[in-house]
Amino acid sequence: MALEDYRKDMELCAKCSICKFIPLEKMKGVQPANVCPSISKYNFNAYSGGGRVNIGMAMLDNRLEYTDKLLHIIYNCQMCGACDVSCKYAMDMEVLEPIYEFRIKAVEEGHTNPALDKVINSLRKQGTMVPGAKAKRGEWAKGLGLKDFTRQKTKVVYHVGCLTSYDKDMWKTARATVNLLNKAGVDFGIGGENESCCGGRAYQMGYETDFIRQAQNNMALFKQCGVETIVTACADCYHAFKVLYDKFGLKGNLEVLHITEYLDRLIKEGRLKPRKKVAMKVTYHDPCHLGRLGEPYIHWEGKEIPGFQRRFDPPKELMRGTYGIYEPPRDVLRSIPGLKLVEMDRIKEYAWCCGAGGGVNESNPEFSLWTADERIAEAESTGAEALVTACPWCEKNFNQAIKECGSSLKVYDVVELLEKAI
Amino acid sequence: MALDKDIYRAFEDVVGPDNISDDPAILDSYSYRWGPQTETFGQRFAAITLPKDTAEVQAIVRLCNKYGIQFKASSTGWGSMSNPGGPEVIKMDLRRMDRIIEINEKNMYAVVEPYVISVQLQAELMKRGLNCNIIGAGGNCSAHPYAAHYGGGHMGESTSLRERNILAVEWVTPEGEIVKLGSLGSLGEWFCGDGPGPSLRGITVGHAAPCGGIGVFTKAATKIYHWAGPPIFPIEGVSPQYAPSEIPPNFFYRYYSFPSAKEMVEAQRRIGESEIAFEVMGFNIAMLASNMGTSNDEDYAYFEQFRKLIQGPGFQVILMGNSPQDFEYKKQVLEQIIRETKGESLKPVEDPKIAGALIWRSIRITASIRECFRAGGAFSAALGGTHPYGEEVAYMEAVSKLKKDLIKKGILRDDDGYYLTWPHEHGHLGHAEILIQFRQTPESIDAIMGFSEAAMKMAIDNRYGVPHSLSGMAPDMHDMFGPHASNYNVWQRRLKQAFDPNEVSDSSGYIKGKQQQGVS
Ligand SMILES: Cc1cc2nc3c(=O)[nH]c(=O)nc-3n(C[C@H](O)[C@H](O)[C@H](O)COP(=O)(O)OP(=O)(O)OC[C@H]3O[C@@H](n4cnc5c(N)ncnc54)[C@H](O)[C@@H]3O)c2cc1C
Repeated sequence: MALEDYRKDMELCAKCSICKFIPLEKMKGVQPANVCPSISKYNFNAYSGGGRVNIGMAMLDNRLEYTDKLLHIIYNCQMCGACDVSCKYAMDMEVLEPIYEFRIKAVEEGHTNPALDKVINSLRKQGTMVPGAKAKRGEWAKGLGLKDFTRQKTKVVYHVGCLTSYDKDMWKTARATVNLLNKAGVDFGIGGENESCCGGRAYQMGYETDFIRQAQNNMALFKQCGVETIVTACADCYHAFKVLYDKFGLKGNLEVLHITEYLDRLIKEGRLKPRKKVAMKVTYHDPCHLGRLGEPYIHWEGKEIPGFQRRFDPPKELMRGTYGIYEPPRDVLRSIPGLKLVEMDRIKEYAWCCGAGGGVNESNPEFSLWTADERIAEAESTGAEALVTACPWCEKNFNQAIKECGSSLKVYDVVELLEKAI
Repeated sequence: MALDKDIYRAFEDVVGPDNISDDPAILDSYSYRWGPQTETFGQRFAAITLPKDTAEVQAIVRLCNKYGIQFKASSTGWGSMSNPGGPEVIKMDLRRMDRIIEINEKNMYAVVEPYVISVQLQAELMKRGLNCNIIGAGGNCSAHPYAAHYGGGHMGESTSLRERNILAVEWVTPEGEIVKLGSLGSLGEWFCGDGPGPSLRGITVGHAAPCGGIGVFTKAATKIYHWAGPPIFPIEGVSPQYAPSEIPPNFFYRYYSFPSAKEMVEAQRRIGESEIAFEVMGFNIAMLASNMGTSNDEDYAYFEQFRKLIQGPGFQVILMGNSPQDFEYKKQVLEQIIRETKGESLKPVEDPKIAGALIWRSIRITASIRECFRAGGAFSAALGGTHPYGEEVAYMEAVSKLKKDLIKKGILRDDDGYYLTWPHEHGHLGHAEILIQFRQTPESIDAIMGFSEAAMKMAIDNRYGVPHSLSGMAPDMHDMFGPHASNYNVWQRRLKQAFDPNEVSDSSGYIKGKQQQGVS
C-alpha cells in the first residue's frame, strides 16, 4: 500500500478533533482528557491524527515540500494508534495506516532522520535495533543451559527481542521468563546469536524495506526449523510477528503469543501456581502494541458499493482496537496473592503511550521522556507503589523518566512479579 | 500570503517561537476542509499562533491593528466559520487556553476558557450533581458558549441554548481592549451577564453567532443545571462497543413515531407544558440508526429495519427522575401524552442495553460524527432559527419537499426525507434542521448550493423567521434577511463599525463593516 491508497480514507476526515481525546464516553473529569502525545506536546493541528491525515492529502496534491517543520511533524509521532481508536469510535476510516505510509514515503524519498538512520544501520549490519554485536545477542542466557531452536526442535520459541538481549538491566525479565517456562515444564528454545530483530520498530520508523527483509529472513528460519509457536515478552515484537507479518502475507500459520497470554494460559491450566504473597499495590500500563494495536490483522479484498454510504462488498471490518490484549496481563496480575491492582484513568484501548515508540525514543528523547512523565504522574495519582508493564521499551523509558524526575514509583514487568509469586 | 519577516517576528515575540508557524504543512492542516466544496483545501492562514492567555491574545490583536492584518480566533476549529476570509489572516488557535476557571455550585455557573471541551466540563459537573448544555455537534466542541454556532443541543429541553446560558464574559475587543461584561465588570464575579455592570450581551452575541467577527472571548461563564444521575456513568466494553452495565435508576428512554408532524408537534408541546422531560430530541430514524451503528454496515441495517417499523416523524425522550415518585409521575404523564397523540414506541430500542447506550450517547453527545460524517464524509443542512416550535416544524415540512426532490434525482442519501426538530426550555422555543448526506461531486455540490439558497428564500418568502443557517456564512446573507427582520443588519453593521473600525476581526462569518455592492 502507499499513501495514495488511503486518499479515500483521508478525504473522510471531518476535523472533529476526537482523535485528540480519549473516547468521549470514557471521560471522567477535566483531566486526563488527551490521548495523543504529539498534539499534546506540540499543539499545532498538524501534530494530531487528523492533522497528519490532512497534510497527507496536501502531500498527495503536491502542495507541500519537505521542510524541517514537515519532517519534525512526520517523525514526532510514537505511532501509538490512539488517534486511530478514538476516530474509529465514530468513523469508518483508516488513520494510523496513512500516518505510517506518510513516514514510509518520506524515507523512500530520502528524507530520513539521522538518528533513525543510525539505528537502521545497526539493524542492517548486526540485526539489532539497539547497539550490540550479533555474536553477543545470546549472552544474557549464558549458563542457563537453554536449547537452541536452530539446532534442536522445540515446541515453543522464546523470542527475546533486541532491547532485552542487549540491555543488561532487562536481563532479569528474560531470566524470569525462562524460570517460569521451566517451572511450567514448557519445551522451549531460544535463538541466541541466531535470533534477529523482528523488524517491527524499523517499520514504525518508516523503513518498510528493512522491515520486510527482517520478516522474510525470520520466517525463513522459523520454517526451516519447524517453529510453530513464538512467545515474546516484547510488545513491539509481538505486534510485528502477529500483526505486521500477517499484513504482509508472511506469517503463515505461526502462532504468536505474548508472554502474558502464555502465562495466563499456563496459570489457567494449572501448570503454574502463584502461591507466594506479593503484597504490593500496582497499576498496569497497557503497551500500545500489545493493547490497542495487538489485535489480529484483518485481511480484506473486495470493492466499494456505489452509493451514499461508504460500504463494501464483502463487508469490511476495521481494526478498531476492540480485540487487543487487555485482560491476560491483568488476569496474571490478579492471580498473584496479596497483589492489589488499581487502574489508571486512561487504560486499554485509550491508554496513554509510554513515549518510546515510533523512533521517538531515538530521535527525540526529550519528547519521549515528556510522554513518559505524563504517564508516571497518572500512575502516581492512583496511589500505586509500582507501575507494571509488559514491554521492555515501556519499562526502560519509564525507568529513565523516573530517574530524571525523582519519582519513588517502581517499574516492573508482569513476568517479574509473577516470578516472585511462584 | 507570507507575513513580512519583521511582522512575523513581532508576533513571535508575543507567543514564543514554538507557538507560531507559517510553515505550509502547519497551515494546510488548518486549510483542509470538509463539506460541500469543490476544493479540498481552502485559503491558507498567513500564520498560526497559539496564545496561552488573555494577555497574549490582547497583544496579538493590538499587533493586528498596528499592521492592518486580520485575525480569526477559534476553539476546536471544527466549524467552517473558523476558516480565514482572505489571505492576510492570522489564526489564533486557542488550544492552550484550556482551563476550567471555576465551578460555582451554589450559584450554578461554570467559567471556562475556549479549549475546554463540553465533555470535560460535563464530566466534572456530574461529579457534583450538575450538568451543562452541550451543542448538538457534540461533546467534542468547546464548552465556551461563544464558540458555538447557535448553541442548541439535544438536552435543550432542560439546558436551554447558548444565548440564554451566557453569563459574565471576558472579551478582547477587536481594538485590543479587555472588557469585562456583566457582574464581572463591577464585582469581579461571573454570576450574571447583564449586570450589575456593563451589559453588552445583545451586542456581542445575538441570534447570529459572532463567528470570530467581533474580537476574542477569552473566558466566559455559562449556566449549569441540575443532574440527578450518577457521578460517572457505568460504561463498559471496549471502543466502539460501549454500553452501560445498567440504566441508572430513575432514567427512561423511548423513541416514538407519529402518524404525522401534527401529532408529533402536539406531543412535544404537551411534554414541554408538563415539564417532565430531561431531553426531547427529534432524531429521525436515519440519525438514530447512525447513532446506534458502530459502522456504516450496522447503520444501514438498523435504518432498513426501522423504516419498516415507524408511522412517520418522531423523536426520542429521556426522563430523569429526582426520586422514584417523581420518576413514576413523569413516566405516567408521558405515557398518557403518547397515548393521546397516537405515538408508537420503536420496539427494538426499548431493549435496556440499547436504551442505556442511547441515553448516554445522547447526554454526552458523542455520536453526531457518526450521524453526519461517517456515511460519506460530508453533510450539509438547512437550519431553522430558534422560534416558536410549530413554526419551525412547518418550515422543515416545506424544506423537506426540496430534499425529497434531490433524493429522487439520486443526489442525496435516501433517508426518507426526514428532518429533525427539538424544543428548548420545555418548548418555549424550538429548533429544526434538515440534514443531507451526499458524495462530493461537482454536480452534487451545485445541487446542494441550490438547495441551501432555495431553503433560505423559502424562509423569507413564507416568513419562517431568520434561520441559523446564515450564521457563519457569507456576510451578505445578513443583508438579504435584514430587511425582513427589523433591519437588524443595519444595527449589526453599525456595531461592527464601532467596535472594529480597522476591520481586523475577520468577518467572513459575521457582517462586514462595509456593505457589499449590489446587496440591498
Ligand atoms: C456535525 C455538526 C453538527 C453541528 N450541530 C450543531 C448544533 O447542534 N448546535 C450548534 O450550535 N452548532 C452546531 N454545529 C456548528 C458548531 O457550533 C460549530 O461547528 C462549532 O465549530 C463547534 O466547535 P467549537 O465550539 O469548538 O467552535 P469553533 O469551530 O472553534 O468556532 C466556531 C466559530 O466561533 C469562533 N470562535 C470560537 N471560539 C471563539 C472565541 N473564544 N472567541 C471568538 N470567536 C471564537 C470561530 O472563529 C468560529 O467562527 C454543528 C457543526 C457540525 C460540524
